[in-house]
Amino acid sequence: MRFERRKDVNPKYLLLTLTIICILFLLMSYFAANQVAAIKNFTSKVMTPLQQGVNQIGLWTDSKLENLNTIEELTAQNEALQAQIDEYQADITMYQNQLSELENLQNLYNLDEIYPDLNKTAANVFAKDSSSWFSVFYIDKGSKDGMFVGANVMCGDGLAGIIIECYDDYSKVRAVIDDSSKISAKIMPSNALCTVEGNLNMYQNGYLTVTNIDKDAKVSIGDKVVTSNISDRYHSGLLIGYVSEISYDSNNLTKTAYVTLTVDFSNLECVLVITDTKKTISDN
Amino acid sequence: MRRVITLGILIIINFILQSTVFGFHNISGITPNLMLILTMSFGLMRGRKEGLLVGFFCGFLADCMFSTVLGPYMFVYMIIGYMNGFFHKNYMIEDALLPLIIIVLDEFIFNITIYIIFFFLNNRLNFGDYLGNIILPETLSTALLTIIIYKLYVVINKWLKNKAKGKESI
Repeated sequence: MRFERRKDVNPKYLLLTLTIICILFLLMSYFAANQVAAIKNFTSKVMTPLQQGVNQIGLWTDSKLENLNTIEELTAQNEALQAQIDEYQADITMYQNQLSELENLQNLYNLDEIYPDLNKTAANVFAKDSSSWFSVFYIDKGSKDGMFVGANVMCGDGLAGIIIECYDDYSKVRAVIDDSSKISAKIMPSNALCTVEGNLNMYQNGYLTVTNIDKDAKVSIGDKVVTSNISDRYHSGLLIGYVSEISYDSNNLTKTAYVTLTVDFSNLECVLVITDTKKTISDN
Repeated sequence: MRRVITLGILIIINFILQSTVFGFHNISGITPNLMLILTMSFGLMRGRKEGLLVGFFCGFLADCMFSTVLGPYMFVYMIIGYMNGFFHKNYMIEDALLPLIIIVLDEFIFNITIYIIFFFLNNRLNFGDYLGNIILPETLSTALLTIIIYKLYVVINKWLKNKAKGKESI
């Protein structure tokens, strides 16, 4: 009915009014952030259950299709894996010996405080940014489940991202590969500090860039890149990836490296969120 | 009224599909822009006003979920819907080439705007790489989907039109 009544409205004026509304919204997002957050919260209250439902259906059909396709593959894999298990069992006993030795040494140096056990909760990914430009995804746990802005998100043993917006039932996570992501990190055996930058372009080639490595730091291909202890947003020692290429910068003071990620962002379903906050100076 | 409800449902369905099923768990992958197809189709089939409104609400949803500030997507979708409305007088039901040409142009306008706002101004100047890696694949996937989905929208539009006509004659 409303459409019929508006039939005599000139589209030009409609364009003008809606443009003004857009600009008002833009201004509001800067000057009245709380009201805008309320609008966002309201719309997402309606949309996220739908998204989660559709995602469930998608997951279900996907798993069923995969089952059909991979039965043969799996039996072959199973045999290979059985053989590997025997191999690893031998390895495990070896590592257990080494671990106890390590623990003894750590006790000796009182170092066990450096790698505290972090509390984690599992969450499911249910949606991603709708454009191809940003690497932002959504998880189905929010502030009600103890999430908070700045919580680190892991996938397996690698760092996947950080929560940038947190609502009641869901949170928005920026992946480490996003173009605006910058992480203070260090390269492991040599402890060289560096910055890991997300770069959409580099990620297309399978890497992230690591900048600001000291020129004299001993960095070699295959070294581990982990989050550094000086970062105030990321817990220290979370694995990001492995160095795969190093080059000198033109300023002859720093080096730049490429790092291969441990997390596979093409298939992200379940993630772990660290629910501990990192202690910073302001907390003390 | 029937038209408003149908359009509302279409916008929501497109939004949900775009954020979940398409780009399925591929956080960094290319996603076809379903909401742009919807905006384009109704702008082309129904004229400036409807393109404008559909674009506005598509952009509103996109802004609410994916953007830190409200406004930018809303504005881009809205302008695209409005511009497409100008081609309404060239619209023919059987014509499949015109929507294809328009959606390709739309995709370029949409992606180049995003590139300029979020990347060019952020000192990422190698436009060629972004063009080859993101804009072209997205344009291609969206154009391919347009061929199928546009037909569906034409049918829906026809049905809505017939219903409205039936009401008038009564």
